[in-house]
Amino acid sequence: MKHLLCSSILAALVCQTASAQWLPVSNATAKLENSEMGGPFFKIEYELGVKDLSPAAPAYVFVRFRESANASWKLIPQTALRGDHDIVESGGKKKMLWWGLGSLGLTNAPSLEVRVRGIRMVRVPGGAFKMKIVPGGGYDESKTQVENATLPTFWMAKHETTVGMYADFLNETGKGGSGWHKHMAKTERCGITRGDNDTYTVAPGREKFPINYVTWYDATAFLDWCGLRLPTEAEWEKTLRGGLFLDGDETKKSPNPKPERKYPWGDEAPDAGGVWRCNGDGETDGFAELAPVGTFEKFPSPYGVCDLVGNAAEWTLDWYATSFHAGLDGYRMIRGGSFMDPHAGCDAVTGATMLPVKRSSIAGFRGLRDARTK
Amino acid sequence: MKPSDSISRRQFVSTSASVLGTFAIVSQHKAHAAGANEKVVIGLMGCGGRGTYVATMFAGRPDTEIAYVCDVDSRRFARARDAIEEAQGKPPKTTQDFRKMLEDKRVDAVINATPDHWHALGSIMACQAGKDVFVEKPMTHSAWEGRKMIEAAAKYKRVIQVGMQSRSCQYLRDARDYISSGKLGDVYLVRVFNMMQHPMRKKPAAESAPVPPGFDYETWCGPAPVVPYDPSRRWLDRWEFSCGAIAGDAVHQIDLARALIGDKPFPDTVCHAGGVCALTDGREIPDTQMVTFEFGKLTMLFESALWTPYMTKTPMDRRDKGQLPPNWAFNATRIEVLGTKGFMYYGRHGDGWQVFDAKAESVVAAPGRQADKEHHDNFIACIKNRQKPAANVEQGHYSAMLCHLGNISYRVGNKKLAFDAATETFKDAPEANKFLKRTYRAPWVIPDNV
Repeated sequence: MKHLLCSSILAALVCQTASAQWLPVSNATAKLENSEMGGPFFKIEYELGVKDLSPAAPAYVFVRFRESANASWKLIPQTALRGDHDIVESGGKKKMLWWGLGSLGLTNAPSLEVRVRGIRMVRVPGGAFKMKIVPGGGYDESKTQVENATLPTFWMAKHETTVGMYADFLNETGKGGSGWHKHMAKTERCGITRGDNDTYTVAPGREKFPINYVTWYDATAFLDWCGLRLPTEAEWEKTLRGGLFLDGDETKKSPNPKPERKYPWGDEAPDAGGVWRCNGDGETDGFAELAPVGTFEKFPSPYGVCDLVGNAAEWTLDWYATSFHAGLDGYRMIRGGSFMDPHAGCDAVTGATMLPVKRSSIAGFRGLRDARTK
Repeated sequence: MKPSDSISRRQFVSTSASVLGTFAIVSQHKAHAAGANEKVVIGLMGCGGRGTYVATMFAGRPDTEIAYVCDVDSRRFARARDAIEEAQGKPPKTTQDFRKMLEDKRVDAVINATPDHWHALGSIMACQAGKDVFVEKPMTHSAWEGRKMIEAAAKYKRVIQVGMQSRSCQYLRDARDYISSGKLGDVYLVRVFNMMQHPMRKKPAAESAPVPPGFDYETWCGPAPVVPYDPSRRWLDRWEFSCGAIAGDAVHQIDLARALIGDKPFPDTVCHAGGVCALTDGREIPDTQMVTFEFGKLTMLFESALWTPYMTKTPMDRRDKGQLPPNWAFNATRIEVLGTKGFMYYGRHGDGWQVFDAKAESVVAAPGRQADKEHHDNFIACIKNRQKPAANVEQGHYSAMLCHLGNISYRVGNKKLAFDAATETFKDAPEANKFLKRTYRAPWVIPDNV
């Protein structure tokens, strides 16, 4: 039996921060073992340091590895793992098995390193929901908008991707400055500096802020790195508004009291009762610029997803096509409004177009786990 | 028809003296804040995709500053404000009421990137406030508005540049010079194409929707009637708000064709064929348009359709590579100039031009590049030196007029109409003349005396 090096350094670091970043992962180990008939496999054990996970609010766990200190880090495909990986519904000691090593040509197992990371997710049960068009913004009329659209179950990140998470990604992948731009060095807006040898450092206090100044390609690169993807506009909108039944169409026991709500919390104005519910334009909501993710967590979506509106707008997977420029624009849609938008525009339907190569201070992203690959 | 109405070299030179580099000085007036070394301060009206793009380009220049972003829909501010701040390192002010921007004496010029029905009124109000104007195409929503804009620019000594940036391409000058040299022979026929791909619009879920908070819909309607709010872009298909695809996009092609043949102002006749053929989704504007303009012996034949997937515009990533189109016949934005000695293809999106001789052999192949920056350079230079810009208000009027004439011929039943250049009205066609000027909704009225 061979032993391998297991990196839990990053997990230890994120343990020191709030759950808005990576979930705390500790005591990660990995051992090469031989099965009687299926060939060698790695047994990866780790401890997920959160107690409040559940089927409705699980973690997404993914593992990256490299064969040696000079090798590139790679994602272990979720399909190659068995056990406590992907959507994990409870905390504590966990174990997963990694099969198929022979086909990957991993012959130098003693120097293998693995990194286990977790993201807090929210389950959006499959079923019908109210899909709205997008007033004044992008609306691809070539698509069919169904009055009661139906989507299968998926899992959405509870928070937007943070500066801390993105800097972690850069430190693994950002050779030659790839995925980074000098705008990110602005401490008041983002706060990631690039040092020698492509090391990326987060300005003190900026870890929990949503990442911005990312192109659509940067966002998809980060999510590919995790094994996630961007939500479509329909998925984003269903997450905000909830399905017709919040427990989904299989059980239909929990009707959504406001299936056509304007905001994640309902129809009340963002400042109803003198209490601000999101970070829009101006300082009256307490933030002239971005706020840390989860700042308005008392006003989540029906499923408990935070910050869908205001703060950083969010890239989506969808193209935008105007009738006058069909096939030429190449715009992608952002949703949810931002700290530069009037609060009334930080709602369920307002969207904007953005060229995918654009780096903007107003746009970030969050990840989605697709049920089909679960 | 007069024999002189084809174009020969001598006539060409005489009729094109005011375009593309030979400018007449209209005023010795100096912009009040834009001296030779001062930054030109600009306000943006309408921060949709095009307005934001143009304003961001100006914001990235060392000699300009975008001071204002104006839009009746406050939900549009963020993207424009952010892009402009990134480009110039300083955030612009935002306002839903562009009149506040016009009151600011620090503002030298305005980018008017509003919908068609606001182009003329917004530009005239800017002229009255002492601002120079960069107005997106089509310059006008109706024929009458063009003359009023010319009068306003003259009265208030303002520079008006129309967003017909293809006029600033070097390869347009080269092609025009080639034609004027007589190498094509006498030109009697110009075919102008603008083919696009528009989707059939879906039936709306409801006849109207509530106006979103933060959107001043009444001002958005401006001179047009306040119709029930529809969140989709169906307004583009209604005459009250739009001039349709012929003016919305093909005006670039018509303008280029006019420049190539010596900037003839008005045709003698116009005759439209076509209508709503393929996209039968309730739209008012035609999806199929073939318009014949007679300029004496020279005939301009314009063709446009919105349903031709095989005939596409040059892709964005080819437009600045200095390449000829791989297949002219399927280039959606080409112009064909037919002379007695030769034939010219001319393409809009950096496509360049190519000439074939009497044996159909290629004798000139001249790739081109787009000229957005050059068009902006020209505008800023004219603000400072008070000369006429490349796409000046007169040319904007003449090119938009051809679009309006074609549409009017369609609206009166595809009739051939004779046009009187002196009065800018149709001869003996009162049913057509009523379309030359729109009905304005108070208070958004362009006065007869601007």
